[in-house]
Amino acid sequence: MPQHEHMERHRKLHGRRFDAEERERKREARMVHKRSEFAQKVHGLRAKLYNQKRFKEKATMRKTISQHNERSNKHANDEAVADGAVPAYLLDREGVSRAKVLSNTVKQKRKEKAGKWEVPIPKVKPVADDEMFKVMRTGSKKNKAWKRVVTKCTFVGDNFTRKAPKYERFIRPTGLRMKRANVTHPELKTSFQLDILGVKKNPSSTLYTNLGVLTKGTIIEVNVSDLGLVTTSGKVAWGKMAQVTNNPELDGCVNAVLLV
Amino acid sequence: MPVYNFKTMAPVPSASDLVDIVLTRTQRRTPTVIHPGYKITRIRNFYMRKIKFTQQTISERLTTMLADFPRLSDIHPFYSDLCNTLYDRDHYKLALGQINTAKQLVDAVARDMIRMVKYGDSLYRCKCLKRAALGRMCTILKRQKASLSYLEEVRKHMSRLPALDPNTRTLLMCGLPNVGKSSFMNKITRANVDVQPYAFTTKSLFVGHTDYRYLRWQVIDTPGILDHPLEQRNTIEMQAITALAHLTCSVLYFMDISEQCGYTIEQQCNLFRSIQPLFANKQLVVVINKIDIQPWETLDASRRAMIEELIKESGSNTTMLTMSNVSEEGVSQVKNHACDKLLAARVDSRVSGNKANSVMNRLQVVYPTARDGVVREAYIPESVLKEQELRRRQGGGGGGDAASKKKKSRIGYAPTVDDEVDGDEEELDDIAHESDDEMLGSRKKKTARELMWENGGPGVWAPDYREQYDLDDPEWRFDAIPQILDGKNIADFVDPDIDEKLRLLEEEEDRLEAEYAAANMERMDDDDASLDEMEKAQVAEIRDRVTIARAYKERSGGNNRPALPRAIRGRVKDCHDDSAKLKASAIEKRLAKVGVDATQMLERGRKREREDPREKRRQSRAARGSDNGDAEMETEPTEEVSGGEDGRRGLSKGAAKRQRKERDESVKREQSLARSHSRPRTPSEMGLRDSTMAKVAKLAEKKGQKKWFGGSGEGDHTKAVHLVKWCNTGKKRNGTHYQR
Repeated sequence: MPQHEHMERHRKLHGRRFDAEERERKREARMVHKRSEFAQKVHGLRAKLYNQKRFKEKATMRKTISQHNERSNKHANDEAVADGAVPAYLLDREGVSRAKVLSNTVKQKRKEKAGKWEVPIPKVKPVADDEMFKVMRTGSKKNKAWKRVVTKCTFVGDNFTRKAPKYERFIRPTGLRMKRANVTHPELKTSFQLDILGVKKNPSSTLYTNLGVLTKGTIIEVNVSDLGLVTTSGKVAWGKMAQVTNNPELDGCVNAVLLV
Repeated sequence: MPVYNFKTMAPVPSASDLVDIVLTRTQRRTPTVIHPGYKITRIRNFYMRKIKFTQQTISERLTTMLADFPRLSDIHPFYSDLCNTLYDRDHYKLALGQINTAKQLVDAVARDMIRMVKYGDSLYRCKCLKRAALGRMCTILKRQKASLSYLEEVRKHMSRLPALDPNTRTLLMCGLPNVGKSSFMNKITRANVDVQPYAFTTKSLFVGHTDYRYLRWQVIDTPGILDHPLEQRNTIEMQAITALAHLTCSVLYFMDISEQCGYTIEQQCNLFRSIQPLFANKQLVVVINKIDIQPWETLDASRRAMIEELIKESGSNTTMLTMSNVSEEGVSQVKNHACDKLLAARVDSRVSGNKANSVMNRLQVVYPTARDGVVREAYIPESVLKEQELRRRQGGGGGGDAASKKKKSRIGYAPTVDDEVDGDEEELDDIAHESDDEMLGSRKKKTARELMWENGGPGVWAPDYREQYDLDDPEWRFDAIPQILDGKNIADFVDPDIDEKLRLLEEEEDRLEAEYAAANMERMDDDDASLDEMEKAQVAEIRDRVTIARAYKERSGGNNRPALPRAIRGRVKDCHDDSAKLKASAIEKRLAKVGVDATQMLERGRKREREDPREKRRQSRAARGSDNGDAEMETEPTEEVSGGEDGRRGLSKGAAKRQRKERDESVKREQSLARSHSRPRTPSEMGLRDSTMAKVAKLAEKKGQKKWFGGSGEGDHTKAVHLVKWCNTGKKRNGTHYQR
């Protein structure tokens, strides 16, 4: 009974109500109905969020139930135990289910069959020039309109130096320059934040490729030296392709999938 | 001294609650209506505001959290260690560190996204960016789920920690479980601690308060400690150890001699030895408890010896007391003893500290050396001796019990002046105490204060001070004293020797005067030995004048300048103005009066005056010419003038005219040359028309450079911006400020 545990102290001194347990039980029992009432009443975004939450709860519940059941289930794979004499080091081995391995190999083969340049996002909505560029009016009377400002996110290399304003046709604003991308490894199902090395291909136009514009579907090269990936020849790969999967100008970050 | 109050910490919301709080606040406190038709800047600002506001809310929340939780390095080591024991210092620091990092991350996200929004070209894009920004911030918060829930638990627990002041007077109980610590606590305080007949009833520190000598004492009950190494101690025991280690207090080590607690006396002694290092610098009292079951006297000899041995080896400062919680025997003695010990130690530490030194340094005690062998006893008047004798005889019967009574009555009272000094003062104290006794009351002289209260209190009755007068005849004491008697103020005759004193004073005055005159005469004789009567009179007169002039000068404000400016000394224009003080004759007369020959000075002045006109002309021409500083230019025209004057005499009228014209031409050419050639000039006079203007400029400059009091330095010289009128007034049409 620490000195400030008032509730405990009170309970200790005066006890609880006689019907305390009964009330608790009833409250618990009523909970289900209350929740259902709320679930039926709620609508809009709150309903969406509530359903999501409830779904998660139910899923974990189901999982725990199945985990509990698993203990009683019998899984022993006894059909593959070898007959006859077995060397000592194999004695306590049981047959291994190979279903998983098989399915993996099948998947692998299917993948190899597919084209080498099949990318996660095969079709990309083309981006028009007037969506991509904003006209910048120049001259003291603002009557010249030959400059363009890129309105999408771009990648600009480290060694880029601006031209003199007179010759600078395209301006890539510093606020929209991106240096890093959140790259997901499709097999490892993990994502890393990696440095962008360059823009390889913007499907909409070669001009965009040259300017280094990052739009959805753009192929970029990222620095994977941190991941320790190895090429078939045994060298450590440090540049790898990835495809941008989001609209960076809307999200404020570049998400990409590694092409493997 | 900081007060440790952990109750004021604001509750820490869980991660999901925090997200809800933040987003709701953003929704409620920022504008919500926007349309794609609005100006793009307005749309951008709308969304930037949302992002910024969310970031600020989060930042604010997290900052208060960080500020609320105490830094373990900053608080008292006791609390710091207690927190380490209860919440694990590393975990605590990590959690706070993560909150701090989250705050920084949120700031960074907001900064980046706001920058992106600045380039947004449509409402949709801005909105998407806002959505992404809030999402990222909320994700960061969600990741802090574990830290936040941990901190909330810590906060709850901390707010329930007993309000324990590590710096106050403290009694601390310790010992094995079940030896009667909590029972003792309940006996001396109102803490109402749970007491149960099993070990570890007390699981945390408990605080109670008690009074002793009108002071507030903090009593701390600790959980029982078992005798094993420090590493094996659990959290409950570690709290007791922390309290023992960090609090300056009086420690009561409880021992159960009945061994009902389940531990033998030997085990209890062993525990004492193992935690003995923690008792260093503390006032230790070993309390032998439960003597109602097993009295100390009947304890078998070997165990008794064991305990006595223990106390002996623990040092001279340790005392042993016996008590019983059940029979309440010795409970208050233990308390009082522990309190007294601590109080004495605190006083000692104060005396030995620096603070006391500063006072002690100013005190000086002098012991006189004996000058001869004569014994000089204290003089005690007869009456006092008689009184003492009387008292001794009367107090013989009840003396002992009076003393005990006195002692008893003083327990639990605040220290008074006579508590600090014992010995001799005790006796006086006794007198004061017994003065109230009726037995002695009749013999005792009543004080004026007592009389005053008997006769109606202050304002009604006041003692008559005339009683105290010491006169030749006591009957005179109450006689009225007039102020004037026989036409004379009697105050003048208070001193019987007043005539004699006056005479002496007068005599002294005469003597001093004579001495002064003699000295004066002597000096006069030294100076003026060679002078006759007339001259002496003159000298005297001059001296007088000088003194008068000096005095007058001082009184008139004393500006330290010669009475006559050097420039006009002797230069007198208006000879007819008799009132002019600066007339030559007047000056001469005045100076002659003071004994100065002014002829030379006047001559010099006149000389200057004579050459003045030419000089003046030359100067003005030079100034018109352009350059005053140029020596060549200065001399040239004068030569020319003189040459012209010489030549004019022998020339015809026409030639003279031509020559004059030529000369004028040459002057003009000279001037134009001077103007066109870039010659070095005094920069301060560049662009000034003539010498007057230069003078004005110089004055202005001086005025500008005059020291301005209250300024910091040269940096205070400012030049106001010159606003061109036509640029800055009037209607603002047909153009802008800058362009019309």
